[in-house]
Amino acid sequence: MGVTSKKKLWASFSLILALCLAIVGCSGGNNGKGTADQSDSSAGSGSGASASDDTKPITISAFISTPNQQPTPDNRIYKKIKDELGVTLNMEFLVGDLQQKLGVMIAGGDYPDLITADPKLVSAGAVIPLEDLIDKYAPHLKEHYAKYWNRMKDPSDAHIYWLPNYGAYTGDVHINYYSGPAFWIQKDVLKEAGYPTPKTLDDYIKLISDYAAKHPTTPDGQPTIGFTTLAYDWRTFPLLNAPEHLTGHPNDGGVVVDNGVASVFADKDIAKRYYKVLNGLYNNGLMDKEAFVQNYDQYLAKISSGRVLGMFDQHWNFQPAEDTLISQNKIGQTYVGFPLTYDSSIKDYYLDRPVINLNNGFGISVDAKDPVRIIKFLDALMDEKYQKLLSWGEEGVDYEVGKDGKFYRTPEQRKQQEDPTWKLANRADGFYGAAPKMEGTYSDGNATDPGSQPEEFYESLKPQDKELLAAYKHKTWTDFFSPPPENPVYYPAWQVDLIDGSDASVASKKMNDASLKFLPKAVMSKPDQFDSVWNEYVDAYGKIDVKAYEDRINDQIQWRIKNWSNN
Amino acid sequence: MRGQKQLMLMSLPILIYVALFSYYPIWGWTMAFQNYKPARSFAQQEWVGFKQFKFLFSDDTFLGVLRNTIGMSLINMVSGFVTAIVFAILLNEIKHKLYKRSIQTISYLPHFLSWIIVTGIVANSLSVDDGIVNTVLMKLGLIHSPVLWLSEPHYFWGIVGASHVWKEIGWNAIIYLAAITSIDPSLYEAAEIDGANRYHKMLYITLPGIRSIVVILLIMNLGWILEAGFEVQYLLGNGVVIDWSQTIDIFVLKYGLQVGNYSLATAAGIFKTVVSITLIVAANTIAKRFGEDRLI
Repeated sequence: MGVTSKKKLWASFSLILALCLAIVGCSGGNNGKGTADQSDSSAGSGSGASASDDTKPITISAFISTPNQQPTPDNRIYKKIKDELGVTLNMEFLVGDLQQKLGVMIAGGDYPDLITADPKLVSAGAVIPLEDLIDKYAPHLKEHYAKYWNRMKDPSDAHIYWLPNYGAYTGDVHINYYSGPAFWIQKDVLKEAGYPTPKTLDDYIKLISDYAAKHPTTPDGQPTIGFTTLAYDWRTFPLLNAPEHLTGHPNDGGVVVDNGVASVFADKDIAKRYYKVLNGLYNNGLMDKEAFVQNYDQYLAKISSGRVLGMFDQHWNFQPAEDTLISQNKIGQTYVGFPLTYDSSIKDYYLDRPVINLNNGFGISVDAKDPVRIIKFLDALMDEKYQKLLSWGEEGVDYEVGKDGKFYRTPEQRKQQEDPTWKLANRADGFYGAAPKMEGTYSDGNATDPGSQPEEFYESLKPQDKELLAAYKHKTWTDFFSPPPENPVYYPAWQVDLIDGSDASVASKKMNDASLKFLPKAVMSKPDQFDSVWNEYVDAYGKIDVKAYEDRINDQIQWRIKNWSNN
Repeated sequence: MRGQKQLMLMSLPILIYVALFSYYPIWGWTMAFQNYKPARSFAQQEWVGFKQFKFLFSDDTFLGVLRNTIGMSLINMVSGFVTAIVFAILLNEIKHKLYKRSIQTISYLPHFLSWIIVTGIVANSLSVDDGIVNTVLMKLGLIHSPVLWLSEPHYFWGIVGASHVWKEIGWNAIIYLAAITSIDPSLYEAAEIDGANRYHKMLYITLPGIRSIVVILLIMNLGWILEAGFEVQYLLGNGVVIDWSQTIDIFVLKYGLQVGNYSLATAAGIFKTVVSITLIVAANTIAKRFGEDRLI
């Protein structure tokens, strides 16, 4: 081997060595940086304050927990925000399972600046306390949340980590549109039956079976489906929550609360009664055979085809399917919700008073470089000017102002708003859904969104809808429901954080597994086998530590009663 | 030693790479013996000994989960092996170039589809609403009413196995096809002179000719026996079939990652690794007994 080749060898070796060192160096460096950042930003805003410059362009990354579509790059509203506030939003929307996504994020310790609310992130130390930041830099937010300040404090350490996205109200509240749970039924079914008002489960089933008997297929030739449900991923409430409503309880999730004491109902007789009815439906061929194996997309596709006569669900959950029906102008196949009960002596409690949506909305992560700038940005958006931009759109483009100062939309503008593709280029719904927002009424007397503006709501109704509401002598969709009583202090119990890894959260998973395994079996069994399957289910349930789950919820209910009563 | 210096130098980067990405992460196994909470330093973690392993093995669903994992994995491995070898041998017999190429291309294309697409296709074909499987079976008169394939626990393994075969058969066959081409053509000629027909040649020349490749691949695949997959079972499974569809990975996702119990997930990972290493060593020893080529 000559001298030159030896030199070459050494050169290549040192190159390789350098490369290796670089790899090692990088990984080590990253770790160091991560911890340094954490301690830095969790210490608060000290160093960040001087660095903030309110107009300097900045990109804020955000993770949003709903599976929206990305807006177009030249989206009108986001562009306006960028031009006026200097903020470019780099949003990541959920794909797949949220808990899994958050688990991976925590395991990697790598967070976006703004992050969707979840108790898991608090226990992982992923988010910074916000109360000082809000006090110092965000007067609008402070005012917005003033009424709810105590409730927003985390039960574990009394810090505020999240800015709830829904449920903070100002001024008069008009709720015209109903987005909560109900038994939904197609408008055509009601029309054909002469607009009856089903009160009980039996009335409802009769309506559906009569219609299905007369119309075995839809106008475009597909077989009609009488009733469907969904039990996929975390969206199990369409299958599991109906019994609590049928017995006149409000939506507390997996428990019913009587006199301040929560108890699980999934394996009790009140649940058995409901699934027995579904079993009857199934054996009469009215229940969707694939109800229990379908995923969320298949569920939506089925509803958007107009074949499904009814289901129990929350309106927002099947909203995308209804939007498709509206854009195809199949208004007769959209739905009206009814507050059914087991018998008419039970008063329905489906509609509830708005509660602050705890454990929802945005928090600021420990990785955020400039928390002050971010909170100032969110605060700036709370200005009515931007609230109107995000909710109504641009004056003269998305809405008009009448002589009396009332906002309204022209028929063309309304038409545009129904087009999902147009919205991606002209609305900022993805971000606005998760951001803090005003609800109720603006200082100029206009409602905070077009659907709540009484005149605009009525004008935006389709002729079929006007006819239907007139037939029932109702003005809004919420008139079908009993007016809600004052909320109990602890309400709602479904917001209780079960704490990751605790016995309660393990029990909750197991309860869910048992229900998803046995309830479909029970519903799909022959009528004479129903009871034996049900007994198997109750046995399986008995082996789970249900008490751990109930205890955690009761514990939190007592905590809320103690800490929230004087709020 | 002297003569090997350059070789040793050249293998150094690989050693560093392996140390960094394969051995250093083993440090993370300590998590399995803690009640690991993210964002705390090592010293602040709480040590719990074998608690996570105890939870894993005392949970009454875990045995079922283990059975599903091994069961589906075996089905996938055996059916994947057998079909790919048979397919490769049959394909090798086709002399028409264009025909052979097109079949090969068509058969390995599904390999490049992601599981989410494949499971979508599977779910659609098995649907009771005009799914192709039910339609065909009804037309043939084999069944009278559509079968709800995906809500029958006992069909689940079969469905998963069949999906695997459909997706991977062409891709797995490639390596056997390559091995077949290396068989000495004079063997076939000699056999022909001795009066062997086509089937004799397949059985007595082609098959033994690729035997060593088969054994090595078998040993390597045994190491993955606890990797029955996650996506297929997760995407096709539902509450009704959970007793037969849940694999270790799904169990870990639900009771480990989703409830924030990372220690449990690590414990399950260690368990999988130990079983895999044991199986590989065992298979390797057996191969040695039979005088076959070995991996190590």
